[in-house]
Amino acid sequence: MSATAAQAVIGFEGPPDPDLVRIRDLVYQVAGIFHPDSKLGLLWERCGRRMKERKTKTFREYFECLTVKPNRRAELLALLNEITIGETCFFRNQAQLHAVRDLVIPTIIEAKAKLPIRRMRIWSAGCSTGEEPYTLSMLLLEESQRRLRDWTFEILATDLNERSLAHAKNGLYGSYGTRNLSAYYREKYFSPEGEQLRVQPVVQRNVSFSRLNLSDDARMTFMKSVDMVFCCNVLIYFDLASKRRVIQHFYNNLLPHGYLFLGPSESLYGVTEEFRLVHLPGATAYVKGERSLAGKKAS
Amino acid sequence: MSATTTTTKLLERVKDLKQIPTIPAVLAPLLRYLEQPVEDLDIQKVTDVIAQDKALAAQCLRMANSPLFGRFQKIDSLRTAILGLGFQRVSDIAMSCGVLNLTPKDTGGIDPVVFWEHSLGCALVCRHFARTISYPDPRKAYLAGLLHDLGIVVNLWSFPEEFRRVFERARSQRIPLHEAEQAVLGFTHCDSGSLLAENWDLSADLHAVVSLHHCSYESSEHAPLIAVVELADLLCRMSGLNYGYLENRQVNVLEQPGFAVLLQKFPALRDFDWARLTFELDSYMDEVHGLVHAIYRK
Repeated sequence: MSATAAQAVIGFEGPPDPDLVRIRDLVYQVAGIFHPDSKLGLLWERCGRRMKERKTKTFREYFECLTVKPNRRAELLALLNEITIGETCFFRNQAQLHAVRDLVIPTIIEAKAKLPIRRMRIWSAGCSTGEEPYTLSMLLLEESQRRLRDWTFEILATDLNERSLAHAKNGLYGSYGTRNLSAYYREKYFSPEGEQLRVQPVVQRNVSFSRLNLSDDARMTFMKSVDMVFCCNVLIYFDLASKRRVIQHFYNNLLPHGYLFLGPSESLYGVTEEFRLVHLPGATAYVKGERSLAGKKAS
Repeated sequence: MSATTTTTKLLERVKDLKQIPTIPAVLAPLLRYLEQPVEDLDIQKVTDVIAQDKALAAQCLRMANSPLFGRFQKIDSLRTAILGLGFQRVSDIAMSCGVLNLTPKDTGGIDPVVFWEHSLGCALVCRHFARTISYPDPRKAYLAGLLHDLGIVVNLWSFPEEFRRVFERARSQRIPLHEAEQAVLGFTHCDSGSLLAENWDLSADLHAVVSLHHCSYESSEHAPLIAVVELADLLCRMSGLNYGYLENRQVNVLEQPGFAVLLQKFPALRDFDWARLTFELDSYMDEVHGLVHAIYRK
């Protein structure tokens, strides 16, 4: 964040611009992505880029572009694109991955203890250029030396965009996408290729890529018996009715103990009553189940 | 020796050692003032009390200049602070700075900075949560969040060796601190905090928060305040405002006793946006970290 942006948000120059706060609340209401005060500077920059494009000078004017002017839906999508741009990289959400490793995987193992087949199925819905499913594959490969010994696992990676999928299948990544990779993972699971890194076949073996439109109700019903769904910064582009349909599919396709993970600042508030928000160490997730009755004791 | 005897003996040790930190001179009158109705408060008196302690006054100014306290213009004197922020906020700030000086040098493996980050973070989350659900006294919620873990201060002073073991156990097993205390000491910081609350003559509601926030408290007349602290404390421990480690467990806020308690009083809580509150915790982390470092490592 630039110094100017930071000062505009929290500094001695004044409280956050109320119109920027209105844009923040609009983005949360429509897309479910929340910018806490500490991240308003990021929103300031992202709106700034769109405002330059639209030749608007104030947040108030830009708020109108997003709410009352013609093409407001297109402008909102353009802003959401700015908000999520550059979000994809390997090991992007460390806290979420640690929670998966330390808490979610043991919970799933326990839930499936009595089943004859030891298999874990993960769905990366909206996998973009493949960083997320490959990260999950590496995480599970590591765990297959420990808790997941004798288990098989598969990662279903789907996206709407053919070009993203082609990139994902190719498995070649530049420095930006691999910036969070530790030396350990870099050396163990990648091979250098010029200035880029190629994912090794052992990581790719467990990942299957396919094109899927999350609005395609017929095909969505085929993604059965899933233990975890990862759907980061994808639902933000859907209107409420479509979002609810997609969430219903996730609900139906997840096993009873299943987990749904969204982006780190993404929420399902007001979208579903069927998933319950749970707090994991340093992360949040959604689990299946009726909303708990007030007064029910913690187990 | 039975568990009850052990507990009694250890608690006796707290009393005998006379090591319970005395309430800092400045805080006693402040706490008394805070119990009065707002219209009876004398701003000049408070300024005078805080000004007696120069280090505290300087710390107050540092904190008063933080966006966490909602001020965006430079504050360079206690008078400006009170004029700009109001008496109540300056009192909150003075209390926060005052309690930050309570931990001993040898802290038994628990980093005092991390401990106070949790307490200050919890205070801010309590205040924000209280406001969001229209709890009638957000200031009290702030104080309750700030002071809820006073028992840890007692444990650090009175049982440094044992508390080191407690903390190591909690951190390595990633379990709640009070569970490790129960296993190692036979009592928790709620028990030892209760002694300090009594010694300091804290008001009944704050005493109840300190003594009961990890216990069964639903029948307490102060249950709603304890519930605000219980839930804020839990969210802090599951996020970056923890004690320096993340507990490895899954929590559903709706299944906590505090949720049921608050729902009776605040029906709107049924549709509360817990995800948003969780994201908002992020706003506090950097600033709380900077403030506690600035004050503690003076």
